[in-house]
Amino acid sequence: MPPLKNLEVEFPIIDANFQLFCASNGIFSVEDFLVHDIYALTVLADREANSEVLKQGIAQVHSIVDKLHQPWFNGLELLEDVNQNKYFLSTGCEGIDKLLGGGLRQGQLTEIVGPSSSGKTQVCLCTALHVADKNLGAVMYLDTCNSFSPKRIADMISQYSNDFIKEGKERRLNRIMRSIICRSVFDIFELLGVLNELASASEHKVKNLGTRLCLLIIDSISFLVTPILGGKDSQGRMLMSSCGTLLKKLANEHNISVLVTNHMVRGEGGILKPALGESWKSIPHVQLQLSCDRVRNICQATVLKHTFMASGVPAEFAIHE
Amino acid sequence: MEISCLPISASHRAKLLSAGYTTLSSLSSVSPPQLSRDLNVALQEAVDILKVSSESCRVEVQDGAVEFCKGAQTAWDMLSEEQALRHISTGSGDLDSILGGGIHCKEVTEIGGVPGIGKTQLGIQLAINVQIPYDFGGLGGKAIYIDTEGSFMAERAYQIAEASILDTFDNFGCQLKEIPEKLKAESFLANIFYFRICSYTEQIALINYLDQFLVEHKDVKIVIIDSVTFHFRQDFDDLALRTRVLGGMSQKLMNLAKKFSLSVVLMNQVTTKFTEGSFHLTLALGDSWSHSCTNRVILYWNGNDRYAYLDKSPYLRPASVHFSVTGKGIRDATSQCKRVRMM
Repeated sequence: MPPLKNLEVEFPIIDANFQLFCASNGIFSVEDFLVHDIYALTVLADREANSEVLKQGIAQVHSIVDKLHQPWFNGLELLEDVNQNKYFLSTGCEGIDKLLGGGLRQGQLTEIVGPSSSGKTQVCLCTALHVADKNLGAVMYLDTCNSFSPKRIADMISQYSNDFIKEGKERRLNRIMRSIICRSVFDIFELLGVLNELASASEHKVKNLGTRLCLLIIDSISFLVTPILGGKDSQGRMLMSSCGTLLKKLANEHNISVLVTNHMVRGEGGILKPALGESWKSIPHVQLQLSCDRVRNICQATVLKHTFMASGVPAEFAIHE
Repeated sequence: MEISCLPISASHRAKLLSAGYTTLSSLSSVSPPQLSRDLNVALQEAVDILKVSSESCRVEVQDGAVEFCKGAQTAWDMLSEEQALRHISTGSGDLDSILGGGIHCKEVTEIGGVPGIGKTQLGIQLAINVQIPYDFGGLGGKAIYIDTEGSFMAERAYQIAEASILDTFDNFGCQLKEIPEKLKAESFLANIFYFRICSYTEQIALINYLDQFLVEHKDVKIVIIDSVTFHFRQDFDDLALRTRVLGGMSQKLMNLAKKFSLSVVLMNQVTTKFTEGSFHLTLALGDSWSHSCTNRVILYWNGNDRYAYLDKSPYLRPASVHFSVTGKGIRDATSQCKRVRMM
């Protein structure tokens, strides 16, 4: 929210005099105004010479604030919105889709956790290509570990094609590969910058792609956060939570499905648990844990947290060539 | 966008917030002198803050190929770019084949194994092989060798370089007389930039400096750190701090690999881990570190034979292969050149 003096242009009643009065009470921005005791402020204004003008100013700021809040919905409208707009994006893996109640939900943040080489990146790549294949929209892939492999996607596409698809092989490959957009991100500030850019790009209606963003993948988010987390100052934790908030806001406002990956660390007693700590735990809507049995070459997925599905039931899947 | 997302110092952030600047848009109409007065900071600091904020809120709506965000590419473009890239041969055809043609550029590859398995040999071999000229199927690049353990041997590098040149000529059916000056072992050695590192602070300082060094030496195609582990296992008590420092370092290496289209190879040591009632060998530096490389190769003994196991890769299956270390360097395993293991 803006400082009071920026409002002067639009609302002349908030003049220098009013600002001075507010500043003497420690109010510089609309936010300060919100947390201040309004009755005490009115009483103070009464004592001033130009109390009428000041009170008008207070009323003006109030009306600005009133306009800022979001409209309300009732449950029926919400249900309608969910049924019409919040699709499930298939991950391309039947077992995982079943666990998630159909796939990745639009407007929600899904997190995949798992130890090193448990198949996290493979699930991300597979989901990217399946969503791109269905022409639902563009897929944005933010790569932090240089592990985005276009070759692997191309291989998977040729695996999944069958005789029923009439589209030419080359054309299909081209179409899918062109709607997956990748960008490398190497630190948290870069990520925050990109997310803001995406938010404003979504508002501006992307014209060239002729489509909108429907899936955002960040592989892996923990790689960006680990170096800034911990230590005495809280800067790192603050950046992590603002990143989480921004992701959820982006998902909600633009109906994007967000998929992030997180690694695992050994907690007390050597038990593996998702990294990034307790304060991150509340951010994802859905948390899916992967593990891989290298001897049998079978991967296992378990839901740790979900908005409506039961957690704790494992599903097995395999990663093919 | 919130002020809290800006890459500025914590004290500046606190000052901005207490002066009522909470969003980027509130900064957009402020002049530097005004801001410096409001925040009670030097004019230059105010200029810096405004510079950072204006960079962050720039939205470009232009007719580029990708408008979602700057610096992004479609997978299609990346695929064709990737297909044009050459890989660095390890010297062993079998090992190359499980790595998908050799060590890839734009990726960070970690190689770990017990002492004496041949990590340094492989490192030297790669520093030489990256220099095989483009006409002979190589990359014609230069190498940076960061030695933390003091195990790089110049004589051995010379030996490997000579053998590598001879083998390359053999493959292309050239005569030895035709060898041009730049294909002498001497010039191969001259193109290895060697840094000796004696503490972890030096190691971090060097990696921070590499960005500048690489701008000046654009033809460097491989950065080898032998080993990344050594100093971090010696001098660290605070393990949480170590994880953070290592995380920051691997971020920088990832960035270098992508930015300069080069390959980063990290050597790692092994440690024992106690799980499910028994000890077994695993690579050092912990669970978090295992995420900080694109590919992971583990070298191990199987009886008297050396094997390499591809443990992690975004596009290749796990696989293992037999290789050997010969007088000429890393080569395919054949029955003749088996070395007796020193017990």
